[in-house]
Amino acid sequence: MLLSFITFTNAINAQSASTIGFSFAYGSRVLNIDDSLNIPNDSTFLRITELKFYISNIQFLKNGEVVLEEKNSFHLVDANQIIPNQILVENKQNIAFDEIKFDLGIDSITNVSGAMGGDLDPTKGMYWTWQNGYINFKLEGTSQLCKTRNNEFTFHLGGYQQPYYCLQTLHFKTNNSSTINFKLDVQKILNQVDLAKTNHVMSPSEEAVTLSKIVANAFNLLQN
Amino acid sequence: MKRKLFIFSLLSFVIVSFRSVNEIQFEVPNNFPKPVYNFSKNPLSENKIQLGRALFYDPILSRNNMISCASCHSQFSAFTHVDHALSHGIEDKSGFRNSPALMNMAWQKSFMRDGAINHLDAQSLAPITNPVEMDENIAHVVAKLQISKLYPQLFFKAFGDSTITGEHTLKAISQFMLTLVSANSKYDSVMQKQSVFNEQENKGYILFKKNCSMCHTEPLFTNDEFRNNGLKIDTTLNDYGRYRVTKNKADSLKFKVPTLRNIEFSYPYMHDGRFKKLSQVINHYANGIEKSKTLANELQKPILLTANEKVDIIAFLLTLSDKSFLFNPKYFCPKEIFSEATKN
Repeated sequence: MLLSFITFTNAINAQSASTIGFSFAYGSRVLNIDDSLNIPNDSTFLRITELKFYISNIQFLKNGEVVLEEKNSFHLVDANQIIPNQILVENKQNIAFDEIKFDLGIDSITNVSGAMGGDLDPTKGMYWTWQNGYINFKLEGTSQLCKTRNNEFTFHLGGYQQPYYCLQTLHFKTNNSSTINFKLDVQKILNQVDLAKTNHVMSPSEEAVTLSKIVANAFNLLQN
Repeated sequence: MKRKLFIFSLLSFVIVSFRSVNEIQFEVPNNFPKPVYNFSKNPLSENKIQLGRALFYDPILSRNNMISCASCHSQFSAFTHVDHALSHGIEDKSGFRNSPALMNMAWQKSFMRDGAINHLDAQSLAPITNPVEMDENIAHVVAKLQISKLYPQLFFKAFGDSTITGEHTLKAISQFMLTLVSANSKYDSVMQKQSVFNEQENKGYILFKKNCSMCHTEPLFTNDEFRNNGLKIDTTLNDYGRYRVTKNKADSLKFKVPTLRNIEFSYPYMHDGRFKKLSQVINHYANGIEKSKTLANELQKPILLTANEKVDIIAFLLTLSDKSFLFNPKYFCPKEIFSEATKN
């Protein structure tokens, strides 16, 4: 869906759309999937092998009121993509805004509405099967801290029912710009996780909720 | 402008009529409530149902192309795995539960013994992925279907698109499962005053209403809820049922109340298939209830039954058999579809 969306919206005048972009970092370093992070003196040999998540329900606000929202707003963002992770939201009337809001993950209603297409198609690998529901956020990698098979850690965060509701809503004050770029800093996440102890979260749980909150705080708005 | 408008209206008329010709209205049996399934998001059509039927019987859904849905859900046993306490899948690997019978799925809010699945469309993903059932993944299934001779044309007929997606695959399987409606038993004809119970069946029905129907509610013979029915835990399985899904202690040992329709043919019984005979089931409720914190309210008071009364209840339960369901050719393996594919 993301791909076709980009092609489709290419025709739209840049002035009449807002581009939301995502980039990925480990602290001050650029994060590339599967590549060494080149962290000096890193005895843990940290590597990120998968980073994928859903962004949904994108809204633009002015003075706290929603002035523009994207319809059918579900996007799978994948750090392992050659093309930049960009979402174009049409804004034909050039509506002014001072805040952007979106959800990290998939809402409860969509989770109980059966089979979906596009970015929500279960073939995208962001769907649990024994206990169904969307995976909001996937982070996988290897670290010598993990005494697991191949030193792997796996975080599949999701859960659409209380008390393990994992969806996070993010707000950012922004200037009225046609490009809004976010950086997800994985170091901010892993700094708060003891990988020796917590390295395998793959179902709705208290840990998944805690981690989802940590992940939400690792998104930064880049100032233009 | 007028002409354009005319052509437009003509076109939309043609489109609307095309849709209405292809769409099938889901028929709700006389005495049944409104279905839970939202048909507006997956409108039935004959081509989609036939596609779903082919997928249901096709082992292409499994990793080694040897296990189909029908392997554990055979029609003559009300679409369950007859004779196996624990159902087995790929390479004879054994699961930890008895496969549920499939019928009247349109009225179910959740699926599986523990309700882990919240929607019929998502249901098929569980056995497709489970390492002891089909051990596949939906993305790979879609890739296999796409390069097959048979499926691109079947998907085109059904969805107007020969590009196969996970969504369309799952929705087609749902459509076939939605057609598995059993509402034509002796019980149903008695309720519609087209037949009468014999004396024993009638006694059994009265006892059933007094002792069983709080959970096995008519006309679906389930309240679609979760209950601990007092089974002693099998320590070789340690299956705590609904607790596995909610991680809430109050749900420990609770399992979905199954329908009793076609129960004569859907043995063995209970989530782990521990009882082979209906008499064992009745004896459990009369004499075998194990008390525990989460035991169903409905089972707190003992169910007192004489030997004759137990037989009466069984006589009633046999009136829930629906031969027109168990032997309905519409649910048979669609050999004609598969043989068409090998011809080409």
